[in-house]
Amino acid sequence: MTSTTEATAVERPPARSTGRRRRRSGWATPYLFLAPYGVLFIGFILAPAIYGIWISLHDYNYLLPNQPWAGLNNYFDLFKSGSRDGADFWRSIRATAIFTVFSVPLLVVIPLAIAMLLNRKFPGRTFFRAVFFTPYVLGVAVVGVLFRFLLDPTIGMLNFYLEKLGFAGDYPWTTQVPWAWVGLVGMTVWWTLGFNAIIYLAGLQDISPELYEAAEVDGATAWDKFRNVTLPGLRPVLLFVLTLTLLASANMFGQSYLITKGAPENSTRTAIYYISQVGLQQYRQGVAAAMSYILALMLILISLLNFRLFREKEES
Amino acid sequence: MNQLNVPLSRRGFMGAAGAVGGALALAACGGKSTPPGAGAGPTASGAGTAYNGPNVTLAFWNGWTGADGDYAKQMVSQFNSETKNVKVNMNVFQWADFFQKMPAAVTSGNGPDIAVMHIDAIPTQAAQRVIVPIDAVANSLKLNQGDYAEAVWQGGIYKDQRYGIPIDVHCLGLFYNKDVFEKAGLDPEKPPTNKDEYMAALEAMKSKGIQGSWVSPFQFTGGLMYQSLLWQFGGELFNEDVSKATWDSEGGIAALTFMTDLVKNGYSPKNVGQDADYVALKNGRNALNWQGIWQVNEVTKLTTTKIGLAELPKIGEKGGVWGNSHQFVLPRTQGSDENKVNAAAYFVNWFTQNSADWAKSGKVPAVESLAESSEFTSIEGLQPFAKEVPDVHFPPAVAGISDAMTAMYDAVNAAVLGKSDPASALRSAANKASQILAQNKKKYG
Amino acid sequence: MTSLAPGGATAATGPDPQEPARTAKPRKPGAKTPLGQVLFWLMLGVLSLIFLAPLLWMVSTSFKTPEASTSLELSWIPQPWDVSAYQTLFSAGSANPVLRWFFNSMFSAAVNAILIVAVDACAAYALARMDFPGKKLIFTTVITTIFLPSFVFLIPNFLIVSQLGWLDSLWAIIVPSAGGAFGVFFLRQFFSTLPKELEEAAIIDGANQWKIFIKVILPLSRPALSTLAVLSFLTNWNDFLWPVYVLFSPETQTLPSGLAKLQNAATVNYPIIMAGAVVASVPVIMIFIIAQRQVIESVSRSGLKG
Repeated sequence: MTSTTEATAVERPPARSTGRRRRRSGWATPYLFLAPYGVLFIGFILAPAIYGIWISLHDYNYLLPNQPWAGLNNYFDLFKSGSRDGADFWRSIRATAIFTVFSVPLLVVIPLAIAMLLNRKFPGRTFFRAVFFTPYVLGVAVVGVLFRFLLDPTIGMLNFYLEKLGFAGDYPWTTQVPWAWVGLVGMTVWWTLGFNAIIYLAGLQDISPELYEAAEVDGATAWDKFRNVTLPGLRPVLLFVLTLTLLASANMFGQSYLITKGAPENSTRTAIYYISQVGLQQYRQGVAAAMSYILALMLILISLLNFRLFREKEES
Repeated sequence: MNQLNVPLSRRGFMGAAGAVGGALALAACGGKSTPPGAGAGPTASGAGTAYNGPNVTLAFWNGWTGADGDYAKQMVSQFNSETKNVKVNMNVFQWADFFQKMPAAVTSGNGPDIAVMHIDAIPTQAAQRVIVPIDAVANSLKLNQGDYAEAVWQGGIYKDQRYGIPIDVHCLGLFYNKDVFEKAGLDPEKPPTNKDEYMAALEAMKSKGIQGSWVSPFQFTGGLMYQSLLWQFGGELFNEDVSKATWDSEGGIAALTFMTDLVKNGYSPKNVGQDADYVALKNGRNALNWQGIWQVNEVTKLTTTKIGLAELPKIGEKGGVWGNSHQFVLPRTQGSDENKVNAAAYFVNWFTQNSADWAKSGKVPAVESLAESSEFTSIEGLQPFAKEVPDVHFPPAVAGISDAMTAMYDAVNAAVLGKSDPASALRSAANKASQILAQNKKKYG
Repeated sequence: MTSLAPGGATAATGPDPQEPARTAKPRKPGAKTPLGQVLFWLMLGVLSLIFLAPLLWMVSTSFKTPEASTSLELSWIPQPWDVSAYQTLFSAGSANPVLRWFFNSMFSAAVNAILIVAVDACAAYALARMDFPGKKLIFTTVITTIFLPSFVFLIPNFLIVSQLGWLDSLWAIIVPSAGGAFGVFFLRQFFSTLPKELEEAAIIDGANQWKIFIKVILPLSRPALSTLAVLSFLTNWNDFLWPVYVLFSPETQTLPSGLAKLQNAATVNYPIIMAGAVVASVPVIMIFIIAQRQVIESVSRSGLKG
C-alpha cells in the first residue's frame, strides 16, 4: 500500500533546494494542517474501526448483558463447511464480485465519455448536465421502487415495450439470473453515472488547454489527443474514480434489497446485504463485523493491484 | 434543535475524542453502554382503568406509517383531548427500521414509554431486554383469556411472563377479481372454498386465457400463502419444543408442491415479481390472490374493477391462515417512573377499548366482543378476516425465531422460481433452520 | 477551452482500440465537421432519452391517483391529474413537518459539506505537498479505512454519538461523516496534478505554507473543491440508514427518514413516494446547476506551460 499510493500521484520528487526553504514554516506545519481532520478521523473512523475488530472477536450483541469472547471463531467459521454462515457468505461475496466485475468498467468508461461530451461548448449544455446528474440526486429507496416497477418480469414497462418491438417480452429482469444482473447493473449505471461524470468534469478542467493546442499544431487526431493528453492528465482522477467505483459496487446493497430481494435463491444477495441481515436483523454483530473485515481485506488487495497497474503504466 | 446552539468548539472535538476513549474503555470491560435496568410494572392497584397521578407526557412509538398512522393519530389526539393529565406523543418509523431503531434507542436511554410490536418480534426483544414484562398492567386491566382467540392470547407470553397486550389480528384472505369471474362465466358472489372449486375456477379462467392464481416467490405474500397451506395440509413449522424445523414434512411438501404446480400447469406466470400478483389482480390479469388484510382499504376504493373478499379456501383438510398481531409492549427505561407506567396502562386500556376504531385501518380487533360489535361489523370488507381468526397461527414464542423462518422463505423462493424441487428445497432449509434454532437457544437461553 | 473533435469520445471509448483515425489532417482548433455535429447531437439525444424516461415516469406518477399509478394501461400523461400526493406531503401537519425536514436536510448537508471541504483540503494539502515524518503511515491508514464497509462504524458510532449527547440532534448527522477518507483521497489526487512551479515561485517570494495554500492552491482547485462540496452534500442528503438510528423526534428528521413515515408499510403508494422524490430532488438540482458553473469556469493559469 505504502509505496504504491505514493507513486500514483503524478509528481516529481520535490527539489532538495525547496526542502530547506520549507523549513521556514516550521516542523509542525504539516501536522497543524492535518489536525482538524485528524480529530474527526480518529474519533469517528479509526476508533470505531478498531472497536469493530474488538466486536468481531466476540459473540457480540450489544443488547445482551454479556458478550462472550469468541476469539477468531467468527472468522474461522466462515471458512468451515457446514457452518451457519459459511456457504451463504461466500455466495454473497460471489454476488458482489459478479456485480462489481460488470458494473465497474461501465461506470468508469461511460461517465468519461459523457463528461467529454459535456465538456464541449454547445447550446443547452447546462440542461444536459443536469439530465445526467439528476438520477444521482434520488435516493436508493426511490430508485429501487421505481425500477422494481419498470423491470417487473410480468407487468413491467420494459418488457411491455420490448414486446411492442417484437421481442419475447417476458424477460425475468428481477427474478432470474443472469437477467437480474443485467437489470441491477443497468439501473445502477443509470443511477450513479452522474456522480463519476462530475468528478471527470472537474478533472478535465485541470488539463491545460495549451496541451491540446500544441497537439493540434502537431496534427494530432482526436484519438491521439485523447491518448496523449486527456488520459495522462486524468490519471490521478481516473485512479480515484476507479477506486471509488470499485468500493461503491462492492458496497452495493440497496438495489438488491429493493429490486430482487436476493432472488433467485439468494444468488443476487450481495455481501453487504447479507452482512446487514446478520448484523441488524439477527443481532449478530460479531459475525457481521468479521464478515465486514474479510470483505475489506479483499477490497484492499484488489485496490493494491489497481495501484500497482497504474504505477506500471506510469513507468512504461 | 436546541443542541445546535452548542458552539462547535474545540471542546466539542475534545469531547468527541474523549467519548471514543470512553467507548473503547467500555468495550474493554464488556462493551455494555448502559447498566441493565430492571423491569418495571405498575404497582398501584386500580391502575389502567383510571389515571389520577400528576401530569405526564408519554412517548409512544410504533411502525404505523402511512394510512395506518393516520387512524392511530386520530385516536391519539382524541385520547389527548379526553385526558387532562396524560399527553401522548406518537412517533412512527418504518417497521423495516423499527427493530433496529427501538433497541438502539432503549439501550441509550432514549427509548419510548410505550410501544407497539408484532407478536413474532416480542420473544426476541424480551430476551434482549428491550421490553419488560407487562403482567402487572395486564392484571390491573383485568385482561381475560376468554376475551381473546387462543393464539392471540398465548402469543404475547414469553417464558411464562406476559410481554404483549393484544390490539388486533391481521391475516391473509382471498382477494378475487369479480370482473374476471364474470368473464370466465363464474358466479362473482361464489368464491372457491375448497380445492376442487379452486381448480375448477382456474380451469374456467384458463380456457379464457387468464392465468388465475399468480404465485409470488417472495415472503409477501408467497411465503405467507405457503404457511397457510402448510397448516391446511396438517403440517407444522416446528416441532413441539421448537428444536427442529418440520416444514419438510409430508404436509409441508404438499403445500409447496401445490404452489409450484400452479406455475407448472400455467395457472400462474413463471416469474412473478414483488407485488406483481396484487397489481395484476387490480388490473384484471390475475383473479385469485392470497393477500393481506392491509390491502382491504385500497381494493374497496377501486373504481375500475371490483374485488371480492373472502375467507381463504381450504385447499387441505383443515383451516389454516397466516396471521400476525400488533401488541402493546413496555420498553425498558433507565429509571422506572411509576406514574408513567400507570399512565401508559391507562392509555393501553383506552386504546384497546377503542380498537374497533383502529380496525378501520384494516385490522380485526383482538378482543372478540369488539370484533362482534356493530361498530366493527359495519366496516366493509373485513368480516371474512374476522371469521378466520380461530384458524390463525403465529410462530412459536421463541427468541430469534425469524432467523429460522428466513430459511423457509428462501426455500419457497427457490421452488417457486423453479430453481429446486419443493422437497429438497424444504429439506435443506429445515436442516439449516434447525441449526439456527440450536444456536439461538444457546445465545438467548 | 478547446473541445475535443466531434466523435472523439466515441472513438476513445469504443470497444475497439484499433479504431482507425478518421483523419490525419491537421485541423484548426475549434473546427467542426457537419457529420460530427450530427453524430454528436444524435448521441446526446439518445442518451438523454434513456436518462429522462424513468425520470418522466416518476414525475408523471407523482400526479396520478394511487389506483392509476399501478394501472397496466401504461400512460405517460396522468388521467386524471391528481395532486393529492403533494397535498399529503405538505398538509401533513405537525406530525409530519415536511418543510422542517427539508430545512434539516438542507442545513445538515450544507454544514457537512462545508466542514468536509475545509478539513479535507487542509489535510489533503499536507499529504500531497509536504514531506514529514509519518506521512506514509498516516496516508496509508486513512486510505485503508475507505475499504471498510460502513456497517462496521454503525454500532460503535452510535455508542459514541450517544456518549456525546448528540442523539436526536443534527450534530449526529453533520459531524461523524466528516471523518470519512473519501474527500481527503479525492483532493489529494487533485492537488497532486497541480503544477509545482507556482508554489516554487511563491516560496521564492518568501510566502509560507499557509499563504501558498490559501493564495495559490485553493484558487486553482476551485473545480475540485466545488465538486467535493456537491458530492458531500448529496451523500449526506441521501443518507437514510444512519438518520434512522440517531434521530427520533418528528422535528429532527431529515427528508429521507421523514418521508419514509408517509409510506404504508405493506402497500406501495407510488404517488407519495414519487412526489416525495420530486420535492426532495428539485432544489438539489437547482443547487447543482448553480454550482456547476463553478466547476466549469476555466482555471486561468497565467504564464504556465503545462
